[in-house]
Amino acid sequence: MATPPPVSTESPEARGRRPWVLGLFFLLLALGVLFSPLLGTVAIDPATVLRILVHQASGGALYANPCAGASLPASGCSGLIEIVWDARLSEVVLAVVVGAALGVSGGTLQGVFRNPLADPFLLGLSSGGTLGAAIVVVLNIGVDEQNLFLPLFAFLGAIGTGLVILAAARSRFGSVETLLLTGVALSSFLSSVLSLILLYNPTGSLQVDFWLLGNLGALDWSQDGIAFGIVLVVGTLLATHGRELNLLQLGPEVAQSLGVDSRKVRLRLLLLTSIATAAAVAFTGIIGFVGLVSPHVVRRLAGSDYRLVLPGAALVGGGFLLAARDISLVAFPGTLLPIGIFTSFAGAPFFAYLLYRRRRVSTMGAV
Amino acid sequence: MAEPVPALRVRNVSVRFGERVALQDVDFAVPRGQFVALAGPNGSGKTTLLRAALGFLPTESGSVELFGAEVSGLSVSERARRVAWVPQEENPRDDIPLLDYVLFGRYAHLGWLERESDTDRQAAGRALDAVALGDRKQDGILSISGGERQRAILARALAQESPLVLLDEPTSHLDIAHQLDILSRVRALVTERKVTVVAAMHDLNLAARFSDRIVVLSRGRRVADGPPNEVISEELLARVWGVVADLRRDPRTGAPYLLPHHLVVPSSGTPFLGKGPVHVVGGGGAASSLIRRLSEAGYRVTAGALHLLDSDLETAESVGALTAVEVPFAPIGPEVRERLRGFLDAATAVVIAPFPVGPSNLPNLEEARRVLGRLPIFLLRRPANETWDFTGGAATAIEEELRHGGAVEVANADDLLAALGARAPTLAR
Repeated sequence: MATPPPVSTESPEARGRRPWVLGLFFLLLALGVLFSPLLGTVAIDPATVLRILVHQASGGALYANPCAGASLPASGCSGLIEIVWDARLSEVVLAVVVGAALGVSGGTLQGVFRNPLADPFLLGLSSGGTLGAAIVVVLNIGVDEQNLFLPLFAFLGAIGTGLVILAAARSRFGSVETLLLTGVALSSFLSSVLSLILLYNPTGSLQVDFWLLGNLGALDWSQDGIAFGIVLVVGTLLATHGRELNLLQLGPEVAQSLGVDSRKVRLRLLLLTSIATAAAVAFTGIIGFVGLVSPHVVRRLAGSDYRLVLPGAALVGGGFLLAARDISLVAFPGTLLPIGIFTSFAGAPFFAYLLYRRRRVSTMGAV
Repeated sequence: MAEPVPALRVRNVSVRFGERVALQDVDFAVPRGQFVALAGPNGSGKTTLLRAALGFLPTESGSVELFGAEVSGLSVSERARRVAWVPQEENPRDDIPLLDYVLFGRYAHLGWLERESDTDRQAAGRALDAVALGDRKQDGILSISGGERQRAILARALAQESPLVLLDEPTSHLDIAHQLDILSRVRALVTERKVTVVAAMHDLNLAARFSDRIVVLSRGRRVADGPPNEVISEELLARVWGVVADLRRDPRTGAPYLLPHHLVVPSSGTPFLGKGPVHVVGGGGAASSLIRRLSEAGYRVTAGALHLLDSDLETAESVGALTAVEVPFAPIGPEVRERLRGFLDAATAVVIAPFPVGPSNLPNLEEARRVLGRLPIFLLRRPANETWDFTGGAATAIEEELRHGGAVEVANADDLLAALGARAPTLAR
C-alpha cells in the first residue's frame, strides 16, 4: 500500500508558492484596462473606442481620424475622444489605482494584525475621511474648486485619524488591542460628529451619502496622476515588506528574535497603509470589501507568502474594482451607480464565507 | 581582566511588572560553550530572565550583556546575530515548507531586499540535517508532529548561526522520547559546535543529566548555582519547590536524580483539615520558631505583613503559610495591609512574636489592635533589656493597650501551644 498523503490542518492551498499566478493577474488586469473603456453610459462602437485609445496613446500619430465611420455627436470627434480618453480611461485608471491601494493596504493590515478579517478601514480612517468630505460639502468650501477641496479634506480627515491612532500605538501601552480599540473609539466619535453636522445641514446629507457609497466618476487626469503617484510610491514601499510580514506571522517576539524590529516595522506599515488608504478614500469615497477580499484571493491562488500576497493583492484589488465598474455598467446600462454598492454586494457574501470557514476550522482544531 | 568575555552576563538585574517583583538583583555570567539550565518553580522568573536577555523587556535596574555588549545598545538585527531564541511553543499560521521556515532564521544575515543565497540555503539545509529533518524540507510546518516542529524551531535557531541560544522550556510539550531527543541534540551543539546554551527547564532530572550547570531561581532571586552534582539536593527541593524527595544517582551517567514523594505541606489553596488558621505577626526572624512549631502542631498559619528577604518570610513559606509581603524597607502599603486584614478576618487567633517594631511595620500592631476583643490575641513575652521599639513609643503603647484589652501574654512556644490547645473547641473549624 502506498504511503498516505500528509495530513494537513490548513487548507492545502496554503502550501507552496506560485509566483506565476501574479503574472496571470497582471495579464488579466492589463486586458481589463484595455477593454474596460469599451463600456460606458453612452453607446460608442468598440472599434471606434479602440481606435481612439490607440490614437491618443500614440500622441495622434496613428489613426489620424479615429472617428471615421462612427456616428458623431454634436461636438464631433473631439467629443468622442473626450468621452473615451478623458472620462472612461481616467475612470478605469482610477479604479485600478484605488483598488490596488485598498488591496495592498488590506493585505498589509491582515499581516500586521495577524487577522484575516482586517481591512483598510479597520482603524477608522473611513470615518475621518467622511468627516473631512462632509465639512467641505456642508460649509460649501471652494464651491468652484470642489474637485480639489473635497479630496484634500477627505485625505486630511483620513490621514489625521491614522496619525492619532499611530500616536496611541507609539505610547508605552500600544498593544494591538489598544490600537484596535482606539480605532473603534475614534471611529464612533467621528461618526457622531458627522451625524451631528448632517442633522443641522440636511441638504448636504444626500451628497455625503453618495460619497459614502464610493464612486469613480467626475474626476480628471490630474487627480488620477496624484492618486497614481501616491499609490505607486507607498504601494511599492509596502510591497518591499513581504519578508518582514512573513516573520511577523510567527508572533512579534519571535520575529524580533530573528532580527525584525517588530515595533518599528509595524508602525511603519501602519503609517504607509494609512497614506494609501487615505489617498484612495480622498478620490473615491468609501469602497468596502476590496481590501478585505483581495488578499484572500491571492492567498488561495498564489500561496500565503507575503512577498506574493502584497503585490498580488494590489493587482487583484485593481482588477476587482475595475470589474465592479464594468459589471455595474453592463447590469444597469445608462446609469451611473456608486461603485461601492457593487463591491459590497460581491464582498459581503465572501466575508460571510470567510467567517464560516474560519469558525469551522477553529472548531475542528478545538476537538 | 584576563578573563574572556562571557557569552551572557546578567548584572544585578531587577524586573518588576507593576507591583510584582519578577526578578530581584539576579547576577551571574555564562562563559562560552556552557550549557546552563535555568530551574525554579512556576513564576520564579525563568522566562522573564530569558526575555530580559533577549531585550524583550526593560530592566528596572542592572543590565544584560551579550558577548560584552549591552543588549539595550544593540540593534535588533545585531542581537539576532548574537542570540537565537527557541520559544516554548510557536503557532505558525501557514503551512510553510520546512526549508522556508528554517530560512526565516537567515533574516538577520540578509540585506534589505536581498534574496536568500545558496549560502543561506546551505545553512538551512545543514540545520535541518542536524535535527534529522534533512529529507523533509518540503513538508509543511503544520503537517508534521509536535516533536518534529520543536526540532524545526531548533533548526531555525541553528540556521541563525548565533553563538548563544536561549531555550524556554524546549521540551514541555513533548513525550519522554522526544524530550531526550531534543536535549541530546542541544547537548551535541554545545559539545561539538561550542554553542552556548541557556535553557529554562522544569524537569530537574533532565537538567541534571544534560546541563553543565544549574542556576536555580526562586521568587525572582538566584538561590542556587553550580554543577548539577552540587546544586541538586533534597534540601533544595524542599526549600524551593516544597517537595520531599529522595536523591539518587544514575548508575550509568552519575548524574543526580530525584524521586519526588510528596509536598512538604499541602500547597496553599487546597483544603487543609488542620486547626486554625492562626495569624502570626513577626519579623526579623523573631517568629520563625513559632511558625514552625505551630505548623508542626497542625495549625494552618498565616503570616505578615513581612518584608521580602526577612527570614521569617522564608520560614513561613517553607511551611506553606499564606503571607502578606512588602518590598524591603518600604512602609507597609495599602494593598499589603488589605491582604493582612483578609488574614485577620479568617484567623481564629493572633500570635504576636517578640519582633522589633519600626515605623515601617507598625501597621502590623495597629491591625492587631483592630481585632482586639473579637479574636484571642497572644503576646510572646519580650526578653528583658532588649530594645525593640523604634517607633518612639507608639509600639509600646499599642502592646500595652492590647494587654489591657485582654491579650494573653505567654512565655514561649510551649505555653502558646498549651494556651491554644485549651481553646481548641473554639479554634477547630
